[in-house]
Amino acid sequence: MTTRLSNDEVVDRALEALRAVRVGTAEVLVRDALSGSVETKEGALEVVTARGERGLGVRVLDGQRIGFAHTSDLALPGIEACVDQARRMATITDPDDDLRIASTPLEPVDLDIYEPGLEERPLADRGAIALAVEKAARSVDPRITHFRKTSYSDADVTTVIATTQGVRASYRESFCGAMTSAVATQDGERQIGYHGEGARRAAELDPETVGARAAQRALEKLGAKPFPTQKLPVVLDPWMATSLLGAISPLFSADNVLKGRSLFAGRVGERVANERVSIVDDARRRGGLRSAPFDGEGVATTTRILVERGMLRGYLVNLKTARKLDGAPMGNARRGSYASPSRIGPSNFYIDAGSDDPRALVRGLDRALAVTSLLNLHTIDPVSGEFSLGATGTYLERGAPLYPVQGITIAGNLTHLLSSISGVGIDLTFGASGIGSPTLVIAELSVGGT
Amino acid sequence: MTVRDVERALRTALSRGGDWAELFWERHETLQLVLDDQRIEDAITGVDQGAGVRVVHGEQTVYANGNVTDVDDVMAIAGRAARSVADGTGLHEAARLTPDELPRPHSVAIDPRSVPVERKVALLRLANEVARAYDPRVTQATVSYAESVQEVVVANSDGVHRTDTRVRVNFAVQVVAKDGVALESGFEAVRGTLGFEMLTDEAVRGAGEQAARRAVLNVGAKPAPAGTYTVVLSSEAGGTLIHESVGHGLEADLNLKGLSVYSGRIGQKVASELITVVDDGRDPGQRGTAAMDDEGTPTQRTVLIEKGILKTYLSDRKHAEKLGIRRSGNARRESFRHLPICRMTNTMIAPGDSDPEEIVRSVKDGIFVKKMGGGQVDVVSGNFAFEVTECYRIRDGKLAEPLRGATLVGQGPKLMSEIDMVGTDLGYSTGTCGKDGQGAPVADAQPTLRIPSVVIGGKIE
Repeated sequence: MTTRLSNDEVVDRALEALRAVRVGTAEVLVRDALSGSVETKEGALEVVTARGERGLGVRVLDGQRIGFAHTSDLALPGIEACVDQARRMATITDPDDDLRIASTPLEPVDLDIYEPGLEERPLADRGAIALAVEKAARSVDPRITHFRKTSYSDADVTTVIATTQGVRASYRESFCGAMTSAVATQDGERQIGYHGEGARRAAELDPETVGARAAQRALEKLGAKPFPTQKLPVVLDPWMATSLLGAISPLFSADNVLKGRSLFAGRVGERVANERVSIVDDARRRGGLRSAPFDGEGVATTTRILVERGMLRGYLVNLKTARKLDGAPMGNARRGSYASPSRIGPSNFYIDAGSDDPRALVRGLDRALAVTSLLNLHTIDPVSGEFSLGATGTYLERGAPLYPVQGITIAGNLTHLLSSISGVGIDLTFGASGIGSPTLVIAELSVGGT
Repeated sequence: MTVRDVERALRTALSRGGDWAELFWERHETLQLVLDDQRIEDAITGVDQGAGVRVVHGEQTVYANGNVTDVDDVMAIAGRAARSVADGTGLHEAARLTPDELPRPHSVAIDPRSVPVERKVALLRLANEVARAYDPRVTQATVSYAESVQEVVVANSDGVHRTDTRVRVNFAVQVVAKDGVALESGFEAVRGTLGFEMLTDEAVRGAGEQAARRAVLNVGAKPAPAGTYTVVLSSEAGGTLIHESVGHGLEADLNLKGLSVYSGRIGQKVASELITVVDDGRDPGQRGTAAMDDEGTPTQRTVLIEKGILKTYLSDRKHAEKLGIRRSGNARRESFRHLPICRMTNTMIAPGDSDPEEIVRSVKDGIFVKKMGGGQVDVVSGNFAFEVTECYRIRDGKLAEPLRGATLVGQGPKLMSEIDMVGTDLGYSTGTCGKDGQGAPVADAQPTLRIPSVVIGGKIE
């Protein structure tokens, strides 16, 4: 058996291989992840999965040309081949004078994102959490009859980065998450409700909340009717709001701004949202699901206010775009895996809490539609900002739910949506994706139906 | 890895109990080149090699997987799977493996790995030039080329040992057009489970031009209305409709749980008599094509709905057995990191008898959908939505002004029973289908269709 190199040894071998072929500027990243998950069916464990993922990514900057290669073969010949491939890739791309490899040494910082031992917990413990989710959903109402899928998973992930310019750092993080899709049945009609939550520590994950909320999401749709085409105020609870907020984040990407693909280009200092709205990207939020000490390029992460009471304050930048915009690097390059290059993206990205009680906000509306699910979020075009989504909802008068509706669409433009937010709740909630929002009221949206 | 090594891994997997074991091994080589903002910005290559070992033990499935460098790593994964079963009762022997070769649905003429990178870069620049020259309102273009060669080995304790090589290329163009402050984007892709022969200069020019044409058309278009309309779906629009409104509902896993709107309805009428739906995993060169699925079952042509009557579901090994239907070769997985699940390959509504032009002429006031984008379905209620990326108003049987930002929503079985005209033509589209967090390359196809009444999501002026 070949000796297994440790993560640090893999990084060392890659740096040595780069030196041996006289590459002066490069970045090396190793990610090592162990994860486990369980799925349940009808009160018993159905699937148990154990996963290991470990690999190396090498980025070479040669003559201001960037090349990237990755491998899961972490024996010495595999590492050397990866370095060679990265060099070869750097001969293909066009030069860009603003490309840089990180050179500022990183200070250690504890963000409370790691709980040791999560991944080593016994199978029975994992199974118990998933079963508790199912049980909690069933106990809400006898009309909860089936589950599309219920699962619990956790992971223990180590990231090591090093550059030829003197950066070297690592961090370890843990995740655990539970989700279910509960099905409610009544008079031959079936409706599904999804809810999932994630946390850094086992004690922060509450299976009862996950199950109960999924059950509510299914039950609230039972008896859904068609709805006439009209314009009316729309209420987004924190979970519906975060799913739309995720689609807004590409507008802040400096790469999109510089390439003429963002409606926020040239608008720093201008009003881009209602004055009730402040948007924050906080990569250093303690215990945040997307918190990390450094980003995918080895740059220290930051906490930033992107929109301050409606005014655009800045963009998300990586090393290259920070130079192009004459600004400081902010650590907004995100790396999905060792095998993918960094892309500009948000971390813990949220609309800050407002001052209104969400129930009072809804009571103040004569007529409104509270959205209960959205279909086709992945088709929102961040370039045009246009969205037109399938939806279900609950029709409300003065805050009282009158009946659920289905087979409808909601449509608008993301920039218009931000400026027409007329109510922001105090109930800031973070979803499993690390994106957060309070309850939002949109003054008016087009709803398509019969 | 030799056949003997695979046998050893399967024996290890069953060493602590379990009824059945399977090894999935994969080596995936990729190259991706991206031209953006006039520059080749990304050149990325890599190798991802790994294995997954599944042990089925009564009603429970254990799956251990990870990256592997050598045979010892594979054995360690098999051992990890075995330890999770660990009751040591009723031990089963793995059968001796009998490797066999499956016939390939098509041959690959040019392995993309053999093509010089300069040629690939030249195609990126060509599409970029064509797109930018199309109209002065074109302000940005992103062109990407991706090649992928996935070698897989599937072996199980029944003695099956099969291999497959899936060669895929994906050439995509995204164009931005600007008019005043308005921005719109247009997209077009050339992709399939085929070699570099797909990417002729003509195909590449066509992709650049189509993406630019769509961006420019949309930046000048009026917003689509909201409400209920008669809709004609062009065969050129692609098959997102059949994929979302019917396909997902016919996947056997959902039907075993009784969760689909099509559960328990085999032999019943679930669509208009004009509707025949087929899934064909052997359609030569299509994006969802392979010689076998990811459990080693040969792919096949499966008639799912015949003249409105539901015939069968899309199945994997487990669900075919439990539902008492034939295995259809639809067990697919994104990589060794996942268990296979029931899903579509290349899915189509078969052509009918109506002249496509006559279908348009038959509509006094309606919407003509020329191109569909992505879609999503809630399989439990059957409610679906799909994006329209190019559409026009129909007035007095003729195409009128272009419209932008439309979505179609409806309920699968209801829509399928209402379609009242089916064209003689057939058009394909390609995409990546997402289910349970796994992506799978698919193709969809349909003839020109008329839907008398469907909800369009647009804006109210």
